[in-house]
Amino acid sequence: MAELDNTIHQSVRLQIMSSLVALYAGEEIEFVYLKKLLNLTDGNLGAHLAKLEEAGYVKVKKTFVARKPRTFITATGKGRDAFEEHISALKQIIGAQQKTNLKGK
Amino acid sequence: MNVTNEDAVQSLAQVEEVMAKTRQSLVSTYAGPFLILWGFIWVVSYLGTHFFLMWVDWIWNISSGLGCIGTIFIFWRLFGRGSATRNPSDKGLVLRTILFWPLFFAYAFVWLSIVKPGNGVVLNAFLVTAIMFAYVVIGLWFGSWLMVVLGIVVTGFTLIGFHLIPAYYYCLWMAVTAGGGLLGTGLYMKLRWR
Repeated sequence: MAELDNTIHQSVRLQIMSSLVALYAGEEIEFVYLKKLLNLTDGNLGAHLAKLEEAGYVKVKKTFVARKPRTFITATGKGRDAFEEHISALKQIIGAQQKTNLKGK
Repeated sequence: MNVTNEDAVQSLAQVEEVMAKTRQSLVSTYAGPFLILWGFIWVVSYLGTHFFLMWVDWIWNISSGLGCIGTIFIFWRLFGRGSATRNPSDKGLVLRTILFWPLFFAYAFVWLSIVKPGNGVVLNAFLVTAIMFAYVVIGLWFGSWLMVVLGIVVTGFTLIGFHLIPAYYYCLWMAVTAGGGLLGTGLYMKLRWR
């Protein structure tokens, strides 16, 4: 039985993880690009990334490209596994509800 | 944690939406500017060829040259200043993509030197279908089905133009279908997938 993940379930963090998992394994996305993609503010994205990083679900890398600071984010293997399990748990909830509805008919 | 059925449905819908949006946004970022540039160049060049056939060599030489300069500029903007994504475990990907195009055109010109097309329509249909084949390959390489479909559809339009449309209208047909196809797809990406 898959379990829901408290860290991932929060709406913004679910969006962040969905976006990161949509990339190829090991592929990193730039902070400003992700912020615009999800319509978030710097502070909001930063705060939720810190929570996900604390859980070991994402890796945040600060680097310099052409002398300008840039931050890249990637989902870790642990983060991808946790996300998959969370999605399975959500599907199980829907499946269980459908079974209950069928029994009731 | 207490999650209702409605919450679960909503969360899964949100996940699917964000994953699709991410993929579309990246395809739009990387492919959109090139499609707009070359779509515009094809539309102008085909129309120019139809109305001013005597300047056909000038039209295509100048437009292709401008297209190459534009392509280099877009590459510089996308990758020189740092791209939206990167993959440290596959650092050669960008280099391989950049190398693919000159190698592809080198081969296309080798084939042309062997086949020796008899007239401008044959030459053009050959080059367009060859370029669309490259779109299909790039689409498969990067997992972008839109590029695969675009390549196949424009190839289909080119074959219709080549086999069924009178030669006099070939360039008008290609301006609308091939040039318009690239330009329209690029603009659609830019407007809807950002």
